[in-house]
Amino acid sequence: MKKYIFKRILTSVFTLLAILLVLFVLMQLMPGSPFNDEKLNEDQVQALYAKYGLDQPIVVQFFKYVGNMLQGDLGVSYKISKNTPISQLIQTRLPISIRIGGCAVAIGALAGLLLGLVAALKHDTIIDSLATVISVIGVSVPSYVFALALSYTFGFKLGWFPMLFSQKDIFGSSILPSVSLSMFTMASIARFTRSEMLEVLGSDYMLLAESKGISGPALIFRHALRNALIPIITVLAPLIVDLMTGSLVVEKIFAIPGVGSLLVNAIQSNDYNVVISLSFIYSAMYIGIMLVVDILYGIIDPRIRLAKKGD
Amino acid sequence: MKKTKALVALVLASAMVFGLVGCGDNASAPANNNTAAASNTSAGTEATAASDLNVMLETPVESLDPQQATDGTSFEVIANYTDGLMQMDADGKAVNAICDHYELSEDGLTYTFYLRDDANWSNGTPVTAADFVFAWQRAVDPAVASEYSYMMSDIGQIKNAAEIIAGEKDKSELGATAIDEKTLQVELNVPVSYFLSLLYFPTYYPVNEEFFNSCGDTFGTSPETVLSNGAFVLDSYEPAATAFHLTKNENYYDADRVKLSGLNYQVIQDSQQALMSYQTGALDTTLVNGEQVDQVKDDPEFMAIGAGYLWYVSPNIAGVPELANQNIRMAMTMAINRDAICEDVLKDGSAPTYTAVPPQFATGPDGSDFSADQTKFSDVCAYDAAKAAEYWSTGLSELGITEITLDMIVDADDAPQKVAQVLKEQWETTLPGLTVNLVVEPKKQRVEDMQNGDFEVALTRWGPDYADPMTYLGMWITNNSNNYGFWSNAEYDAIIAECTTGALCTDAEGRWTRLYDAEKLVMDEAVIFPLYTQCNAEMLSSKVTGMQFHPVALNRVYKDAVKAE
Amino acid sequence: MSKSKTANPMEAVAAYTPVDDDFKLKDNASAIAIDENYAAQSFWKDVFIRYFRKASAVIGLFLIVLITVMAVIGPDMNEYTYSGQNLDQKNFAPRIKVLEKFGIFNGDEKMNTTTGTKTINYYKEFGLDDVEYWFGSDKFGRDIWTRTWSGARVSLIIAVAAAVIDMVIGMSYGLISGYFGGKTDMIMQRILEIANGIPRLVIVTLLLLILEPGMLTIIFALMLTEWVGMSRIARAEMLKLKEQEFVLASRTLGAGHFFIIFKEVLPNIIGPIITQVMFSIPTAIFTEAFLSFVGLGIPVPQCSLGSLISEGFNSFTTHPYQIVPPIVVMALLMLSFNLVADGLREALDPKMKEM
Repeated sequence: MKKYIFKRILTSVFTLLAILLVLFVLMQLMPGSPFNDEKLNEDQVQALYAKYGLDQPIVVQFFKYVGNMLQGDLGVSYKISKNTPISQLIQTRLPISIRIGGCAVAIGALAGLLLGLVAALKHDTIIDSLATVISVIGVSVPSYVFALALSYTFGFKLGWFPMLFSQKDIFGSSILPSVSLSMFTMASIARFTRSEMLEVLGSDYMLLAESKGISGPALIFRHALRNALIPIITVLAPLIVDLMTGSLVVEKIFAIPGVGSLLVNAIQSNDYNVVISLSFIYSAMYIGIMLVVDILYGIIDPRIRLAKKGD
Repeated sequence: MKKTKALVALVLASAMVFGLVGCGDNASAPANNNTAAASNTSAGTEATAASDLNVMLETPVESLDPQQATDGTSFEVIANYTDGLMQMDADGKAVNAICDHYELSEDGLTYTFYLRDDANWSNGTPVTAADFVFAWQRAVDPAVASEYSYMMSDIGQIKNAAEIIAGEKDKSELGATAIDEKTLQVELNVPVSYFLSLLYFPTYYPVNEEFFNSCGDTFGTSPETVLSNGAFVLDSYEPAATAFHLTKNENYYDADRVKLSGLNYQVIQDSQQALMSYQTGALDTTLVNGEQVDQVKDDPEFMAIGAGYLWYVSPNIAGVPELANQNIRMAMTMAINRDAICEDVLKDGSAPTYTAVPPQFATGPDGSDFSADQTKFSDVCAYDAAKAAEYWSTGLSELGITEITLDMIVDADDAPQKVAQVLKEQWETTLPGLTVNLVVEPKKQRVEDMQNGDFEVALTRWGPDYADPMTYLGMWITNNSNNYGFWSNAEYDAIIAECTTGALCTDAEGRWTRLYDAEKLVMDEAVIFPLYTQCNAEMLSSKVTGMQFHPVALNRVYKDAVKAE
Repeated sequence: MSKSKTANPMEAVAAYTPVDDDFKLKDNASAIAIDENYAAQSFWKDVFIRYFRKASAVIGLFLIVLITVMAVIGPDMNEYTYSGQNLDQKNFAPRIKVLEKFGIFNGDEKMNTTTGTKTINYYKEFGLDDVEYWFGSDKFGRDIWTRTWSGARVSLIIAVAAAVIDMVIGMSYGLISGYFGGKTDMIMQRILEIANGIPRLVIVTLLLLILEPGMLTIIFALMLTEWVGMSRIARAEMLKLKEQEFVLASRTLGAGHFFIIFKEVLPNIIGPIITQVMFSIPTAIFTEAFLSFVGLGIPVPQCSLGSLISEGFNSFTTHPYQIVPPIVVMALLMLSFNLVADGLREALDPKMKEM
């Protein structure tokens, strides 16, 4: 097992390097350049390219970047916030995105579990249909529409929560964004919980447990839900990364200084270093979480471990 | 064993759900030390009637380095805490700021500026001529690669600026020298009639060398790494912040003039949220988008503010054979119903424009607006469907074809896309056989495609950099990188040369007349199809008075603003 | 199921001396397949019956058919076109004449201005008695009814095409990766990790910047990013099934790798796969909507449900009726695809038969 974990970590590092290289190549393919403002002439653009070392071959750029990255230097922004070190730019923004995304995951996962559980237990009743409708609305109304509707109702009309993010009231002003972001998670989790629960409830060991006289909450929580949780985790893991790296639209609407809007701005203004750094952080989080899930999955589910050993 | 596994699963699940983030419960976010600063300062200002003005921004600040900044937002914020030699008055004219008085030599080539004695940086050191020299040298230094260096060379015509930018001379040879601590001498290549109005442009703002060097690479990235010599002091800021604050500079030489206790900036990218915030009183001024004008047009607090940008369609004359035909171009420009675009689609007060130089920014020697008369080119640029169709069929028969398909590139923003859709509809209904496909691109890519001539028709805009028609007319000289249509006319080039570096640069009136001639050439040949001069629909609280709005350089100036309680 | 067909073998054994040929593998793959086909037929019939026994699944199917039909005929049901502008008749509230007397759809609109709420009726104001916009008109005076249905058409085409291509690519990838395991699996999973590790937004926007914008590009972009989920499920199912007896049996009988993958395993996991396709259609519609929001969706003046929603979003507080039709159609589509997916899963999964 230890050997397996070690091997997985090693390959993850190589995967990350490969991703970084792919990102570099993608940046080369990107049309436009960070410096082609209408008001610049050809010579100035060349001067800027030379200044930032963008005139060098991509391989040189890549190794330089990796070298700098190992020393914690992610380069500077070319456009969004000119010449600002990206580490400084991200330092303040990532925690905000993680906080709001984390809240959204927590709210969404809890509500989703509950909704899915109820739907499965009351399978084929009106409650089940109602839960389906709620979760479908959750996936079919875009989060920015939710965000604006929430802001209009609870911020503007009722005045319960602040409409915009503010550093002075981080808790209060995180509520509306978190809730509007959590809708999608809630809906997906509810859907998966429902189907997994249905499968587990129909399985033989549940029949056995039931015939052994176990009933009520013990049956559902100790036997059914526990087994249903494993596949749910697999679904939840990528969602966590998506949410924590920020949601562009909700950030835009609530004026949250997070990384999602930064990434989109960076792509649109060809701010290479910002795109690469943010994408890389995203990738690292994603691969990290996948790694953890894989390893734990191996511990939990003997079939997968067996399959790996069998090779 | 099985139990442990199930337990691991549960722990894992709950860790995923709860463990990662304590839902905002510990409000000690790493980034909120500014909050304290902001609230302290607002509490610190004595209990006068003065209060903070809450201002909405559409985009975050790109740079607080005056020589690196290029966008209106950054300029506005920099100007809040920095004074240059000149400042804008309510009409946009240049009046003394750091400059106490100046002398101009007879030949119009040498300015001598005498700096005021009471101007100090916020760290106590006086503002000196050396600060200007240092800043201006930075602006032309190839190592700094300032995007606005052409403000010094092509536009300001400061001696040796162009050579330094090209790397041919050392930056110390720039024609700006500190005679003594408070005297700055500037030498120009040719007389520049609008030179004083360049001096309120942030590229010309001073930077204290000693302080700059003490900041290392971090200059302009936090309140600690900027110095103020202006009306306000930056007291909370981080790069690309969505909210930041400036407080009144009590040591400002003109501190009595400043009535506000501070400025509270809030970046809001969604216009509906912005208007709702404005309605709840969280903002004192905000932008409104065209869609919302219906909601606010009866409100006395609603107003349209000139933004200066001329939006126009640029046909690729050299690259597309059909567009090289002048009749085709005439047909296209005359088929555009500019009134409908402004009144029915944009609705923000933007003015239909029928001249290559937009109105309301360049005032001539006689005090009149260069483009006040919008009908002067009405025989070549006005909405006339019948005439357009006539030109069209003439053009088509000259080309020997019956239909044309054109791709028009458009920015991915809201307003240009709306305008483009209307243009497409107007062209296709008025000009039989014309098909226009809209290609939406991010602005960066659109600019690159245009500069490479890799387009057919493009919807683009140009904002004036200084209050002279040349900021527009300079674009269409042969081989200018912003001459997107690659149009070339020897007569035109000659006129422009005459007016910039030739005989006419000291003869204000003669120059003015020749510039009209140049504009006429552009319009007669339909080099561009001007559409409208952009206005921003804004809400300004009735409590606020004295706030200045300008289409050029600094869009909003707060030095005289007063907010009643 | 084939037990009853074979005669009792025990009787023949006594009098028979085995020869070498008896121990060779019987190359009867085709016979097995025929056998399976027969079984599959009754299986599908079974599925069919089970599916239609479930009311919600039938409703879902009905809604999909209804929306598809409307997407085909809806845009031609009145005289407007999806791109035809009429700037004199912009932002008209919905009006359906036959419903007017009930006080709904009468063209009235309540507008919240900063100076108070007022009710406007442009039809009356301009004296346009004969003009009807069933769902209202947008900021260019285009008919929202026509645009909604032509948007639904575009969204459906994009979503179905993307989902089907996803299925083919993702499924094959996942099955092959899971079946061969070992080094193959390792390499294929790393490639997948790389593809998935790069933020989707980056890939999709870059792709749309490089390629000519349009429906095909969007389908291609969706395909590139959505197949990962499908391949995961296929791989997981393969890992579950490949150690099972029937695969082992097939292998012993000399079946080739691809025969096992696509003829033996695939039919057994078709349930989860189809379910996943049904779920990935709404995801595709949704992703397309997101692309529209960042301005990279279908080129104007064409529209999709997503671009209509993001257009309507801009007038959400001014003219809320403009966002309602696309959102409702989108929600109904999502709901019905989910209901169908649920119905199919239960119909396809024999384990749920008793429930």
